Amino acid sequence: MIEELEIILETTSKILQKHVNHSLRQNIVSENTDILNLWNDIEKNGLPKISVKEKFGGYEIPFFSILPLIKIVNNHGTPLPLSETILSNYILSESDINPPNGIVTFASDTKNLQIKNNMISGEILSVPYLNLTKNLLIVHELNNVKKAILINEINGEIIHAKNFLAEPRYNIKVEDLNIAEIRPIKNNIDFNFLGAILRSAQMIGAMEKILDLSINYCSERKQFGRALSKFQAIQHQISEMAVELSASSAALSTITELGLVEKNSNDAAILKIRAGFAAGKIIAISHQVHGAIGFTKEYELSYFTKNLNSWRNDFGNESFWEEFLGKRFLEKNNKNLWEYLT
Amino acid sequence: MSKFNFPFIKETNELSNLRKEVREFITNCINNNEFTPSPDAWVFSADPSFSKKIGSKGWLGMSFPREYGGHQRTALERYVVTEELLSSGAPVAAHWIADRQSGSQILRYGNEKQKSSIIPRITAGECFFAIGMSEPDSGSDLASVKTKATKTKNGWKLEGRKIWSTGAHLAHYMIVLARTSPASEKNRHEGLSQFLVDLSLPNVKITGIPDMTGQRHFNETLFDNVELSDDSLLGEEGKGWKQVVGELALERSGPERFLSHFTLLDSFINEFRNSLIHSGTKIVGKLISEIQTLRRMSFSVASMLHNGESPETQAAFVKELGNKFEKMMIETLREFSNIVPLHEWPNQLQNLFEDATLRIPSNSLRGGTTEIMKGIIARQLGLR
Repeated sequence: MIEELEIILETTSKILQKHVNHSLRQNIVSENTDILNLWNDIEKNGLPKISVKEKFGGYEIPFFSILPLIKIVNNHGTPLPLSETILSNYILSESDINPPNGIVTFASDTKNLQIKNNMISGEILSVPYLNLTKNLLIVHELNNVKKAILINEINGEIIHAKNFLAEPRYNIKVEDLNIAEIRPIKNNIDFNFLGAILRSAQMIGAMEKILDLSINYCSERKQFGRALSKFQAIQHQISEMAVELSASSAALSTITELGLVEKNSNDAAILKIRAGFAAGKIIAISHQVHGAIGFTKEYELSYFTKNLNSWRNDFGNESFWEEFLGKRFLEKNNKNLWEYLT
Repeated sequence: MSKFNFPFIKETNELSNLRKEVREFITNCINNNEFTPSPDAWVFSADPSFSKKIGSKGWLGMSFPREYGGHQRTALERYVVTEELLSSGAPVAAHWIADRQSGSQILRYGNEKQKSSIIPRITAGECFFAIGMSEPDSGSDLASVKTKATKTKNGWKLEGRKIWSTGAHLAHYMIVLARTSPASEKNRHEGLSQFLVDLSLPNVKITGIPDMTGQRHFNETLFDNVELSDDSLLGEEGKGWKQVVGELALERSGPERFLSHFTLLDSFINEFRNSLIHSGTKIVGKLISEIQTLRRMSFSVASMLHNGESPETQAAFVKELGNKFEKMMIETLREFSNIVPLHEWPNQLQNLFEDATLRIPSNSLRGGTTEIMKGIIARQLGLR
């Protein structure tokens, strides 16, 4: 399986290198044939169903093992919700729902959700790339049971749209919308944990790119007669980016290698805290060393830093997970800290 | 970025069992009043009899070969033992440097006589080392050392001064970095060599330097034309720089870079658990996430060392993050004194806290400054 994954990673890199460029990111609409061509190539290679069970036509590679793929996709700044589709399809498949073809997006937040007669009403919030697909996964608790809800004809009133350069996001209000499938989610699946892990892996892929951009820019840009990278003040700032990134990557590889030992393992929380914190530092430093050019729409840095700003707030920010970890240790544990940590 | 990977290493059952064994031993020691947990114990708290006891348990020179009295265990096993010793604030300073870096350095570069005469004593907890790198005029700029070793008929003559030599007054040996030939125009790193110096030799003068806490661990060590035997040279003449860089990887990557003040954190949480549940869950969560990430990275470096890799850059990452974490931890605790005022903390905890506050500036100086760590990382990133 490791070999299989290696091949998939290589193929993916090739596809993305071929299609993704910064002008593609500035026109994320379903009419853009370049966007469609990219998606077709992605789908032809089976990437959306990489973690889907074989009986549903997937590769059945465990979700935790494909996190390096998520990193690559976002390292290239792919302006399509492939990461969201992979996680949605995994959750659907684990809930015994056959995932649809095409893009599937998800909602991490909802408000006043009502479900009656296989129909759904309420507000579905901060949905990425809703302009590119009709397929949506919602995870919602009904009578103390968490359910996976698949909608394949999403339709409603857009109450808020954030269409800036990075990924588009929508809040949508739906009324008596047909549910395509609804099933209880398996016990070992926690959408919030998986979402936090997904967003962290995405952030790490983007942060790797930001570090590369910063190193390249500072090595080429000359001021006061020498490259910026020759100034110690700049070297130290970029080193700090690398330090933060390496800590986040270490936290990610714990999960890639180990999976979540138990559904509620601390590893997801640690990862989201670590990656979210690193993102804050890296956004600030990368813009600082880039100067004004980094603040333009034309230069690609901002595509990545804007996405970091979205992702670090999704599925709980650092404070949320810090409180989660702290509470869990203090309330449910009489052990001293060292025993708990080891 | 592939240079900066920290592969995940699992703690096996064998390792967990070893951890338990060490923990029980330490608990017994504390219950029998054999030591009082103290902060920064690997620098400040030396107890040769404790070191000997640890040695007899087989917890020193753990990864050294059996033929030299070692235990041929893995660097991961050593890692687990050191974590347990550090987190409990045990008095490990006497043997710390010998077990962490000097022994490995001798095994790697030493001749047969050096190995067979010294390694078994390190393993037994009977032979202690000091580091001979910094000098009055050479701190971060280590390659500028002026201590000089000159060839004589029977060996070498050593002349110069080393400073900040932690524990030299208790140590039997020092590994001294000295110039054996002038630096070349192009490369200052040439012409340096390492020497294994017996500190009881005539003309070695060790003078204590009280630090800002008033305690003594620092020394200045004067080598006033010390006659060294021919086989005092450690490793190859002129290859001292390469050797010392490897030694620094051993010095920088261990859990002492983030567990120096763990006893403070532990007592703090035990004391204030109830208030923390109401107003401190977030800070406790933040601290947990940092410690676990650091442990994860440091453990990974231990495995790289075990595999014979040279993780100098990864060690710099661990040290830099660890230093930052410890400073953040002290600040976090200080802010908590807004909820329970410091003067209401139990005396012992107040002392630990004030002590840590006093000592914390040294954590990003010893073993290489923040600036040096960032420089190492920048070099790997291709910026220098």
